Amino acid sequence: MSNNILIDRRTCLRGLGASLALPLLETMGWADAIKGKAVKPPVRLGFMYMPHGVIMDQFWPATPESFLSAPPAALEALRPVLNQCLLVKGISGTPIAPFNGAPHALELSTWLTAQLPDADTRNRINIAISADQIMANYVGGLTSLPSLELATMPQTHKENQEGLNEGYYSHCSFRSATQAVPAETNPRSVLNRLFGKSDKPGNTAQTGPLDRQMLDLVIDGAKDLRRKLPQNDQHKLDEYLDSVRAVERRISAIEYRQKEAALEKAGVSTSKRNASDSPPIEIKIPIGDKRSEYMQVMCDLNVLAFQTDTTRVSTYIGSTPNGVSYPELGFKDEHHSQTHHNNRPEQVAKVAAITKFNIDQFAYMVKKMASLREGEGTLLDNCIMMWGSGLEDGNKHGRENLPFIIAGKGGGSINTGRFIDSVKGNQGDLLTTLLACSGVPLDRPIGIATKQITEMMKI
Amino acid sequence: MAMTLWSLASTLGMPCRAQTADEKEAAALMADAKKSFSDGVTPFVKTYCAECHGSKKRKSGLNYLDALKNPSDPSTSRKWKQALANVKAHDMPPDDADNQPTEEERQKFLDLIGKIKFFSPKDPGPFVIRRLTKVEYGNTLHDLFGVDPSIANELPDEVSGEGYLNTLSPLQSEQYLGIANEVLDRVLAPKDAPSELQKRLFGATPAAGSDPRLTARNVAQSLARSTYRRPPTETEIQVLLKVFDLAVKNKLAYPAALRLMLKAILVSPQFLFITPAKEPEAGKAIVPLDDHQLASRLSYLLWATMPDAELSALADSGKLHEPAALKVQVKRLLSDSRSRALFDGFGAQWLGLGDIQDKVFDTAKFPQMTREMRSAMYDEARLFFDSIVRENRSVVSFVDSDYTFLNGTLASLYGLEKTVTGPDMRKVKLKDTNRGGILGMPGILATTSFPNRTSAVKRGVWVLEQVLGDHVPPAPPNVPALEKQDQKKVANLTLRQRTELHRTNAVCANCHKILDPIGFGLENFDAIGRWRDQDDTGGAIDAAGELPGGKHFSTPKELKVIIAGRKTDLARNLTEKFLAYALCRQLEGYDEIVVDHLMESIAKDGYKMQTLIAEILTSYPFLNHRIQ
Repeated sequence: MSNNILIDRRTCLRGLGASLALPLLETMGWADAIKGKAVKPPVRLGFMYMPHGVIMDQFWPATPESFLSAPPAALEALRPVLNQCLLVKGISGTPIAPFNGAPHALELSTWLTAQLPDADTRNRINIAISADQIMANYVGGLTSLPSLELATMPQTHKENQEGLNEGYYSHCSFRSATQAVPAETNPRSVLNRLFGKSDKPGNTAQTGPLDRQMLDLVIDGAKDLRRKLPQNDQHKLDEYLDSVRAVERRISAIEYRQKEAALEKAGVSTSKRNASDSPPIEIKIPIGDKRSEYMQVMCDLNVLAFQTDTTRVSTYIGSTPNGVSYPELGFKDEHHSQTHHNNRPEQVAKVAAITKFNIDQFAYMVKKMASLREGEGTLLDNCIMMWGSGLEDGNKHGRENLPFIIAGKGGGSINTGRFIDSVKGNQGDLLTTLLACSGVPLDRPIGIATKQITEMMKI
Repeated sequence: MAMTLWSLASTLGMPCRAQTADEKEAAALMADAKKSFSDGVTPFVKTYCAECHGSKKRKSGLNYLDALKNPSDPSTSRKWKQALANVKAHDMPPDDADNQPTEEERQKFLDLIGKIKFFSPKDPGPFVIRRLTKVEYGNTLHDLFGVDPSIANELPDEVSGEGYLNTLSPLQSEQYLGIANEVLDRVLAPKDAPSELQKRLFGATPAAGSDPRLTARNVAQSLARSTYRRPPTETEIQVLLKVFDLAVKNKLAYPAALRLMLKAILVSPQFLFITPAKEPEAGKAIVPLDDHQLASRLSYLLWATMPDAELSALADSGKLHEPAALKVQVKRLLSDSRSRALFDGFGAQWLGLGDIQDKVFDTAKFPQMTREMRSAMYDEARLFFDSIVRENRSVVSFVDSDYTFLNGTLASLYGLEKTVTGPDMRKVKLKDTNRGGILGMPGILATTSFPNRTSAVKRGVWVLEQVLGDHVPPAPPNVPALEKQDQKKVANLTLRQRTELHRTNAVCANCHKILDPIGFGLENFDAIGRWRDQDDTGGAIDAAGELPGGKHFSTPKELKVIIAGRKTDLARNLTEKFLAYALCRQLEGYDEIVVDHLMESIAKDGYKMQTLIAEILTSYPFLNHRIQ
């Protein structure tokens, strides 16, 4: 059986859910091409995570001047797009006191929140909404999926150092202080979710014609049930209501798209895509269990989701802190054990190899974005893709200079092609800056943030 | 200030009527605890702790002066647990502190902290409506429609610790809708030839001239009763009839309209969650679970699926909550093969075997760790656990038994490959007394090892925390791992000797002198549980050690006897862990008193496993919940 799924432009336009344009979009300018106006594509924001930090002297460029001409080994794969990248040194992580240990649960859970889990209720999820979900709240209504959460490993790690809830070991996206957003690990499910498309032969459409109205009635019924429940139960049911409403909305999006496709068939073009835009990329789901191929298909799905404007926010947990090894690199040691290297050359080399492996996958994704035409430039021009880790250095669990790579110009808001070697700021400042560059107005700083890092921005 | 808060708490806990004997006893214990607290704990904290953990300095974020003000608050109880563990291990006060308590003061402090539980008012804790887990959902679909439970496989995996279940994502709701479609496609015939199941679900097609809506109402009533696992309310029936009307309005035929109704049921919260049958009585903070809620709670706990006909009938008759009836049901459920769910859900998690298929091993060093071997390890523990439950053995047999379950693959680790062959697991009598029981079980020895070597520390911590229920304080930050030791200096040392280097460091010594000996006692078992007399360096294994209280051992079998002797600790640990699992939450405050009571009745019956389970499932917090 072929594992290749070609989503060509026609298929996308045939109302399978790809490049869904919601009515609201029409008013946002993105769909104005047909009226002959200049197109200003939306800014998309993506995050990709690797735990345990990096080997600092192999990650940071030697000097700002040498960044483009002689990048460090870890960044080699990014060389073709370095002038669209920005490196910023001097971003500190969230201090972990009153916690003593659990550095890896904290590096992940603070990564997009810049805030610690609440210490007094640490056995439950109680932290803060994460940056990706803040963006999703703002722009999620404009696309068929508010946001996309991906992970390489299942989010089932069971550990509770310091009494922390297990969820903190495998989640970095939080829809609210108490709701961790689960990530999808199966590329087939992602594809299905993005485009209602399955590679199973004979698979019928996911939704029937009356499903949306049926869900309306179910939601009403759930509200009746809710009124009769004690308060704690009501919160639990809200989670259900949120989730079902999102499904209902996706179905309306598909219905809208179907109408649009019918119009197009009748000769009335309504596509929001430009003639000059690249066709949607092809997705190949790998057969074997090679990590790089698996991660690349997740990256492809992320690219496709952005390219078709199916969502504008993504978070990809490329690797999790516990029990992950990289047999593809020729050794079986777990990532975590190697990061406690105590400067032994053999282990340092392994950590460097693992870091490079992860950055290579990120580079694969952003290079693909750079190859796709969109409007006047490329898809990457309109994205902000951040790769990073929650620790500076896994050996000492340092959090002073968190390693980050920003790729993409954010529609002209990010000043790229540079390495800034001495910024003063924290993780919250960084996230606040990226949201500002994505056009998201904030009513309060994120986590421990106190400012925007203006050095990063093109003003 | 402190006293006012306490008296307030106790007033709230006491209803305004004549006190029962239990309540009088509780009140007396509370008064005694408060007195000893202010006489003993407060001065100890002020003298030995407050300098670093007070209002000025709050090292590690711990302020014990604050904790003194509201000692029974759940958020402070964690601080007391930490204090207990650290003071017990002589970790605190630190050795370099000027002020050191005498042994007597230390012991008195530890005893008094144990009394904090008496501050807590009687409280069963919340039982928030809970979504079915992936496994429960698949099994429930199987019981209702005969579909294979694997139909739920595409749902994301979940971590189900003490009450945690992933947030429901939009993706998951979509998957529920997709799975509902799939179920309906499989069980409903497309055209005019209804299957047996379809006839049973939908009944007969209404005769010409009759009102189809009346017939549909009956169908809705019966479908909702089975799928919601309780009688539906009139409002709920009305919602389903609206779905039916929607279908009819859109010109769907009668069977297709029922299909849409059933689809609506399968994505409704009443199906996906365990919801109460009745609205709680207004103004009450603590109420008993209704019998249908209880039937579901019990059935999902022991079987991971919906209540069967007998449980449902008992719930309908309103008799399920009566302790005698409930105990009969617990035993009946346990003796059914579906109670394997108890191991998959609880046992595997308790023994740490849930992830054995995914644990990384150095396969160059241990090529034996194949998929088959890992499955056999899991099954050994499962069958062993089941045998103790089904045969109603004492919890001590978890540690000390003379049998296990093996197949040919696993027997090779026991050196029994000549007598046990073939892929089927079977009960095997063990002659080697170093084996038999969880301490000498390969799967457990393997999950408490590193990929390429044993870890005395990990095994020690495992035995203390998982088997005996002790609380081991976390390692201080920045401890070097063994790999970081100067390689030249340790080149000729056995792993034991290297591990013992930990104990030359005063910071580490206090805890490791308790942890390590247990691990050393198991050093004869390698990282996948094979017997050995030499470790990887070729040095002879020294499995001798001493536990606090001067208990010596020199072989795994002698260690086993010492651990098995701690019956009360074994039973209490299992009781606490199972109670937390059954309640889907961490144990707090009042639960400790519940466990105290449970321990009395469990001990009376010789720590038998079915008794332990039945007592827990008829206990106050399992039958009641706080709703405010």
